[in-house]
Amino acid sequence: MSFGHRVERGYAVVALRGDVDLARSPDARALILQCLEQKSDLLVDLSEVDYIDSSGVASLVEGYQMAKKEGLKFGLIGVSEAALSVLKLARLDQVFPIHADLDARLLDDG
Amino acid sequence: MSTKRPDLRLIGKDSDHDAVEQLALLAELIQEFASSLNLDETLQTAIERFMAYMDAEAASIFLLENKDRELVCYKCVGPVDIAGLRLNVAEGIVGKCVREQACQMVRDVRRSRDFSGTIDHSSGFSTRSLLCAPLSVRGECIGVLELVNKRSGDGLFDPQDQTLVRVLASAAALAIHNARMADSLVEHERLRREFELAREIQRKLLPVPHETRFPVAGVNFPAYEVSGDFYDFFRLPDGRIYFNLADVSGKGMNAALLMAQTSSLLRCLARDYTDPGKLLARVNQALCETASRGMFVTIVSGYIEPQGRLICFSNAGHQPPLQRHCDGGFAEIPAGAPPLGVDPETEFPMSELSLMDGSLYLFTDGVTESLTAEHKPLDVSGLIELIESGTALESSEQLENIVAEIRRPGTRQRDDITMMLISSRCHQLSKKLFQQRFSAQPECLQDVRAKVNAAAIQAGCSAKVAAQIVLAVDEACTNIMQHADQGDYAGEILLEMHNNDEELICVLKDWAAPLDPSQIQPRALDELRPGGLGTHFINELMDNWIFDEAPQGCGNCLTLRKHIA
Repeated sequence: MSFGHRVERGYAVVALRGDVDLARSPDARALILQCLEQKSDLLVDLSEVDYIDSSGVASLVEGYQMAKKEGLKFGLIGVSEAALSVLKLARLDQVFPIHADLDARLLDDG
Repeated sequence: MSTKRPDLRLIGKDSDHDAVEQLALLAELIQEFASSLNLDETLQTAIERFMAYMDAEAASIFLLENKDRELVCYKCVGPVDIAGLRLNVAEGIVGKCVREQACQMVRDVRRSRDFSGTIDHSSGFSTRSLLCAPLSVRGECIGVLELVNKRSGDGLFDPQDQTLVRVLASAAALAIHNARMADSLVEHERLRREFELAREIQRKLLPVPHETRFPVAGVNFPAYEVSGDFYDFFRLPDGRIYFNLADVSGKGMNAALLMAQTSSLLRCLARDYTDPGKLLARVNQALCETASRGMFVTIVSGYIEPQGRLICFSNAGHQPPLQRHCDGGFAEIPAGAPPLGVDPETEFPMSELSLMDGSLYLFTDGVTESLTAEHKPLDVSGLIELIESGTALESSEQLENIVAEIRRPGTRQRDDITMMLISSRCHQLSKKLFQQRFSAQPECLQDVRAKVNAAAIQAGCSAKVAAQIVLAVDEACTNIMQHADQGDYAGEILLEMHNNDEELICVLKDWAAPLDPSQIQPRALDELRPGGLGTHFINELMDNWIFDEAPQGCGNCLTLRKHIA
């Protein structure tokens, strides 16, 4: 699997990196869903994403919807400029909770 | 002047005074004939003076008509007006003068078997003596000068009169001949002006040049005053563009008239049809009803749909148009039916092709049959070479360059030269940045993105715009990989990028089952679901995209455009 994940302060953090396209988004999707299946609150770290397309974004949407259904927390952190511009294009910047990093998220969580 | 010299010894036989007087009259008449603008008047005055000088009672000039079978009295003086009188060349003394091409003098008509006396009977005039001289030019007789009855002496003509009348007849014949030559020059000039007018009308039947981005351009160079070739193109009210290029059999005025008729019919009827074959069938019926026997029209005629992507056309006996594919290959598209004007029952099948696949060159045989510098016919192969040398140019410039080579200085144009180029804007104006075929596998995408990015930067895009183009192309490829052949597409994708001063164009082709373009719609963004974003991205990132079913019923073609100016 080309992406890694860690558990930190109550969140499973999936770190996507490089190009998240049709070739690699199935891996991202599998990892995101796997974490959620384990009933983890989930943050996806996009700080090292150079490129993401609609298939990568679709993995995020699927994760968001599953988390909501399961009553789990979901969010994005450290969204790179490349990723942010694509999220904006899909107007998803208004849907996903986005924070600079885990600290910012935890602060917001209260 | 080629008249015979008068026999001055004979003229001067009576006295020197007479000779001087005769010469003076001759000089004066010849001068008048030479400078005359009105032959009618001059000849009338001349025979009045002949009559007075010869002391005759009547004089007339007869001219040959009706294939030299009849003599018609053109001018006359005397007590009886016989102007317009027709005489059979086979009869009478005037006729004999023509038949023998020699002077006829009948001193006393009562002793002549040739004298018919018809006019005397009807007019009451009494002919006693006749003197006729042929009006001859370069050995060819064109009429007769006739003098009737001498007033003085015994009232009969004598040999001296005969010599004088021969000289007068020579001068008159030359004057008539000159006048006829002048008339034919005037006629020639009138015809020349009419041809010029016809050419002007023809020129006006050709379309005016459109803006450079119009998908059709054409050129026409007639070999003679008027052309048997024509071409036309114009936008119809529903947004389609109608075009044709044709060659009428034969040359000159009859071909030009058939050209005008055919072109006008097409111009009137084009808007009423969607199938170019049915349009040609209708025009063919009209031409078969009216066209002269043996005349026909070869034509390629068709429509370009409003988005300028697909064209449909019919070819009636015309030279196969050349399609230049995006990959630089050429294909001839042969005629599917005989020419117009041959059989009213002819049906004209339709061909379709996508302009996304390349451009279409239409031309007449004046192009392919023109001679190269080696005096060999240019042929289709030579034309292809000429086309290849100028594909980077704008359409009308391309055509002008090709025609300039065919009509290079020192060559004689033997036939009308007409060419048309139909191309989508991307192929018309842009230059190719790169082209790549790759298998429809997600693993190929990273490499494709790198190439698209490099090409976009090379075309002058900012890093931001280049990233947008990369995403749009990636999304388009992803769509093919995920959805073509219900997700089972294992073929290849052909990607081409072009650019011009204003925009960057990406063309993506696959060989999967054709998709219904109406199915390709971006989803509403408030509907939150994982799929369907790709089309939305393409919509947002590019200025324009066109989805096209490939013409051979296999494959799809997507063209993306982005303004970069």
